[in-house]
Amino acid sequence: MTLLQNKIPPATHRGIEEGVLERAAGKRNRRTYLALLIPGLLGLLVSFVFPLAYMIRMSFNKGAPDGVIIETFTLETYIQPLTDPYYWRVTLDTFQMGVTVGVLCVLVSYPVALFLARSTSKYRGLLIAVAIAPLLTSAVVRTYGWMVILGTNGLVNSSLEGMGLITEPLKLTNNMTGVTIGLVEIFMPYAILAMISGFGRLNRQLEEAAGSLGASKFKVFTRVTLPLSLPGLLTAFLLVFVLAISTFITPRLLGGGSVQVLATEIYDQTTGLLNWPFAAALSVILLVLFGVIIAVYQRLTKKIGG
Amino acid sequence: MRATIKGKIAAVAASTVAILTLSACGGGSGSSAGDSPTSGEVNLIAYSGVWQDQYTAAVIEPFKAKYPNIKINYASKRSSAEMLSALQGQKNNPATDVAIMDNSVSTTGNNQGLFEKIDTTSVPNLANVPEKFRDKDGYGPVAMLDAVGLLYDTATFPKAPESWKVLWDPAYAGKINVNAPPSLLGLSLTAITSKMEGEDYTKGIDKAVARLKEMAPGVQTFAPNPDEYQNVITGQTVLGLGQNARGQFYSDQSNKKMGVTFPKEGTVYQINTINLVKDAPHSAAAKTFVDYALSAEAQTAFAKALFYAPSVSNAELPADVKNRVVPTDGSLNIVPLDVEFLSSARDKWTDTWKRQIITK
Repeated sequence: MTLLQNKIPPATHRGIEEGVLERAAGKRNRRTYLALLIPGLLGLLVSFVFPLAYMIRMSFNKGAPDGVIIETFTLETYIQPLTDPYYWRVTLDTFQMGVTVGVLCVLVSYPVALFLARSTSKYRGLLIAVAIAPLLTSAVVRTYGWMVILGTNGLVNSSLEGMGLITEPLKLTNNMTGVTIGLVEIFMPYAILAMISGFGRLNRQLEEAAGSLGASKFKVFTRVTLPLSLPGLLTAFLLVFVLAISTFITPRLLGGGSVQVLATEIYDQTTGLLNWPFAAALSVILLVLFGVIIAVYQRLTKKIGG
Repeated sequence: MRATIKGKIAAVAASTVAILTLSACGGGSGSSAGDSPTSGEVNLIAYSGVWQDQYTAAVIEPFKAKYPNIKINYASKRSSAEMLSALQGQKNNPATDVAIMDNSVSTTGNNQGLFEKIDTTSVPNLANVPEKFRDKDGYGPVAMLDAVGLLYDTATFPKAPESWKVLWDPAYAGKINVNAPPSLLGLSLTAITSKMEGEDYTKGIDKAVARLKEMAPGVQTFAPNPDEYQNVITGQTVLGLGQNARGQFYSDQSNKKMGVTFPKEGTVYQINTINLVKDAPHSAAAKTFVDYALSAEAQTAFAKALFYAPSVSNAELPADVKNRVVPTDGSLNIVPLDVEFLSSARDKWTDTWKRQIITK
């Protein structure tokens, strides 16, 4: 008994002590995590939450000519674009541009990404670096590059004319064609990166197993490779779509004023007509559009994943 | 290791706080301490690009040589609307002292109480600005004048086109650049077309819109990039709307590959005023700068550099420059685009262009 009494309490003490220590360590850890989060959260608060709240508040004000902002609480800035066919068309064009650029970008990036993901070459790292290297150059510079290539006297038109295929230069800039070409190329590195990271479930052995069971190369691709790479494809499409509908520089520079999308409209309202409340309302509409798309995407990925 | 990470986090946190503090202070960098007519600094807001380069070389550098104790901080903006927007944002805590901007926009600024009145006691050179170039209420006077011109490719047009109607000529379809409103160039073309159609554009622009719609399919770009001048110089287009001053400058730069002319049906003035910001942080030094900007010396130098017509009566221009700046003696056919009217028409006309004129 004495022995027991002597033996048990220290163990219990140890147990209590350990528990206390663990809890204390847990608290300390939690505090460290929170402390670690503070700079980021502070940055987010100042650079994202406040401006967003300010923008949403601004969208309920009223804009008068010459940049005068009437502080009020009205839905006029929302009613106007939502009841005006012109803004419906602009929104639809924005959406269409996003889908077209997203689909084309995924189509041209898929083979590259697939090759990079499956490559066992010792140069794989270098090849990936080369594929995403365009990100090192500003989108403005690359857009100007496309203006030179696609212009009336540009590389494409002069080559086609030189080969005698056309007599009049093709109109490849200052319209949606130019914007689409430019955006697809500009967003390719993003799509490639998103796909490579989304190809997690892609396994060469599964393809080999399908092959050894008699599936043709085409069947292996359609039944094994493609379904397994679908999450990556969807992520890439969503990323490019979101980037495309919010992009301003390329539609502005390559669109020549004829491509009117939400981003260019917001720019015009902000810097040209100084109607900040209206520009803010359009921005909120664009944000809602983002939200809807992301919700649809999550549903889709769940379906595919499940 | 732990200490290093902690140290790093502390450093990041410290720098975040420092950046936030700095950015919070950024809005009101001005201080009136040490500001006098001959010392201190002047925060100037004006146009960017070639305008900034030439104004710096022709006016700001000589000013700095004359007043070595006054520092000029040049904040450049692409358009007067952007300048107005910046000034509106600083209204309660002005950081800018002087603004050089389009008079249609500066009038808005005057009405919104953004600017201060200027008189000859602090700005003696104002006495040399003729009455017609002064503001009737005493706000910032005209600093320089220009007008909308027709840009043309000299290889296609050995002789300058005489009429704006060339923009409708099917021979040049697809080779035209027109800056759509809210650009002043597009607003001016709307008024000019309206006048050509015998319409009073202050009442309505239906006829002008119908006519501009006929032109639109032949327009290659409604927002030329990098700008309206380079588009003609590089052969992307052969005709375009542009400003005479920059047009003359780029004509020289391109070895006369591009020319600029005032067609017979008339044109619209583009007038820049120089304005003193209300409650400017460096008011005394700012007035010295405004006075210098209105001196014959500065006005002549800028006319020689970028072909803007001077607004002071005592500026003497050499004949080869005088022939190339916009005439201000009444010899040019001017389509009047009233500032107050423009303020009400800008939104409407921009909307009309977007919905009815600009083609996809």
